[in-house]
Formats: sequence, structure tokens, C-alpha cells
Amino acid sequence: MHQVILDRLEEYLAGTPGSREFTAHLESCPACRTEVSGMQELSNALGVLRAGEEVTPPAGFYARVAERVEQQRPRSFASLFWLDPVFGRRVAFASLMTLAVLGSYLISRETDYSAGPTNPATVMAEQAPAQDPDVMLATLASYEP
Amino acid sequence: MGSAAGALPLPVLGSRVAVRKRVDYENSQEGGLVRRAQSGDEAAFREIVERYQSKVFSIIHGIVRQRNDVEDIAQQVFSKVYFSIRNFDFRSSLITWIYKITVNECFDYLRKKKVRKLVYESDLSEDEARRVENTEPAVNRQAPVDQNLARRDYVVKLLMRVSEEERTLLMLKEVEGRSVEELAMMTGMNENTIKVKLFRARQKLVKAAQRLDRNPVAG
Repeated sequence: MHQVILDRLEEYLAGTPGSREFTAHLESCPACRTEVSGMQELSNALGVLRAGEEVTPPAGFYARVAERVEQQRPRSFASLFWLDPVFGRRVAFASLMTLAVLGSYLISRETDYSAGPTNPATVMAEQAPAQDPDVMLATLASYEP
Repeated sequence: MGSAAGALPLPVLGSRVAVRKRVDYENSQEGGLVRRAQSGDEAAFREIVERYQSKVFSIIHGIVRQRNDVEDIAQQVFSKVYFSIRNFDFRSSLITWIYKITVNECFDYLRKKKVRKLVYESDLSEDEARRVENTEPAVNRQAPVDQNLARRDYVVKLLMRVSEEERTLLMLKEVEGRSVEELAMMTGMNENTIKVKLFRARQKLVKAAQRLDRNPVAG
């Protein structure tokens, strides 16, 4: 679109008659004429969205807005306990039960351990690697990097 | 808007609009009301609702035309206003900001409604779908009765293909009848920028209309 049309396009589409220069260009330039015509058509079509009548809000509208605001207000984690004490008590009871079950499980596991040697020297002797030189040589020979 | 100015020749305007002094909206009476609402004053929020509820209802009714749903959308608009008012930065007027929220809510509603319709149609059996298909041309033959409704649907489909900002500007200009000068005041942009944005939005609409006319099913 040419500058002369672009400058006055909005006024023209709003219904203001174009200047002599504007009209003359529109008559002589088919590209601008086509584009302006398409825009004019759509500009008229958009008018269908104009509110034909004044719509009066029904009584009590603000109260319903306030109610919706309350429904949509994001709640903090802590507020769940404050606002619903029953829910809070249930969560506390469930936590205590979980702790009790976990605690009794850990205690029963500890008693399952058989009493092993209490002397550190015995334990070290049992866990020490073999001292036999033949075993050592066999281990080194079988070593593959 | 630097890039836009580089891509498109700016309309040459007279000196009267070269640089417009922005109205000090923040310090106006309404600015004070907004600041009170921002600080959590429920009475200020109530005043905002009562001041603009009729306008919001009319905008929604103009776009949606479903009386039953107008109040629901309006409630959602003011709920958004309540939760977002802290982000309002006084760059535009309050009504422009509320207008934008309202238009977006309406288009969201129409988009969801369209999706619901598609889901409903996908639930139909083949026979039922064929029956619906066969009855549609008959409905279209009653076009004069629903002509206004069809034109509205067409315009809504076109407006869904431009950005939120372009849609708001086009609606303010064409539906609300605001001038470029008023738009500049309302949005805090200069008139050249408004003209360029409107021109681009109109170009997009024309292209979208051409595509829609070639392939109406795609809409």
C-alpha cells in the first residue's frame, strides 16, 4: 500500500471522506484500491459485534463476583489445617500411625541380628584376605587388566 | 515497536500529534481508586465492579450473544481483575485494561465452546454423524433467519487469527468506535504506532478472510 493511502487509511475507514490526493491515488492504483476495499469490507463486518442494547447486570452481581473470588483464591498449605481442623487432625493421626509402624519395624529388625563375635581380633581374622603365597600367586596370574 | 517501524513506512502525521504528552493517569481520581484496590481495599474493588459492570456486560453480550452465559463470563472478568490488579501498571487506562480482559475472556469462551462442540460431534456414531452432516445444509438454507449469527461467527473466526493486542485494538476502533487519537490516549502508545498496528491487523484479517473463503471448513 502506498504512503498516501496509509496516512489517511484510518480516517477513511472511519467514514471521513478522503482528501483529493487520497481519492485520486485510489482511482489510479488498482493494488491500493483492492486492498482498501477488502479492509473496508471487514471494517463494516466487525460492526456486527457492537452491543445492540444496553445490558443491565442482574441484582446481586457484586456478591456473586465476591463469591467467585473466594472460590478462586489460592490457598496456602498451612491454611488447609486452619480452615479444616478435622482434616488437620486426620493428617496428624496418620503421621503418628506411620511413625509407630516404622518404629516398631526398625526395632524388630534389630533383634533379628544374630549375636556374632564380639572380639575385634576375631572379626579381623575372619575378614582378612588369604595369606597363603600360592593362593596369592594364583590370584595374580589370573589377573587380567 | 522499533522493528515494526523499520519494516513498514510510518504514516506521516502533522506536528499536532508528533509527541503527545501522556495524561498523568496514575495521579488521577481513578488512579487513586486503582491504587486502593491494589493495596487490598475491598471497597475500592467493589467501586470498580460497580463502575464498569454495565460496560462489561454490554461488551460480552455484543461478542457472545448468549444471554445465559454473559453473567458467568462477567464474573470471571472481574475475578481476573481482582487477582491481577496488582500487575496493572498505569500504562493504559483502567477501562482499556478491563476491556482487554473482557475481550480475551469472550474469545476463550468461544474457543472452549467450539472445542466442546467438536468433542460432542466426535462422540456421535457414524450414522448419527451422517445424519447431522445431512441436516446442516438444510439449516444453511434458512440463512436469512440466522444471517446475523453467521456473520458474527465469521467475524469471530477471523478475529481468532490475530494477536490479542491486535484484536483489542481492532475491537476498540471498529466496535467501540474510538478514534486513533483516543486509542493513543487509552493505550499510552503514540498515534503512529497505533496506525501501524491497526494496518497490520487489518492486513492479517484480509488474508485470514481470503483463506477462510477458500476453505470454509478449516475455520
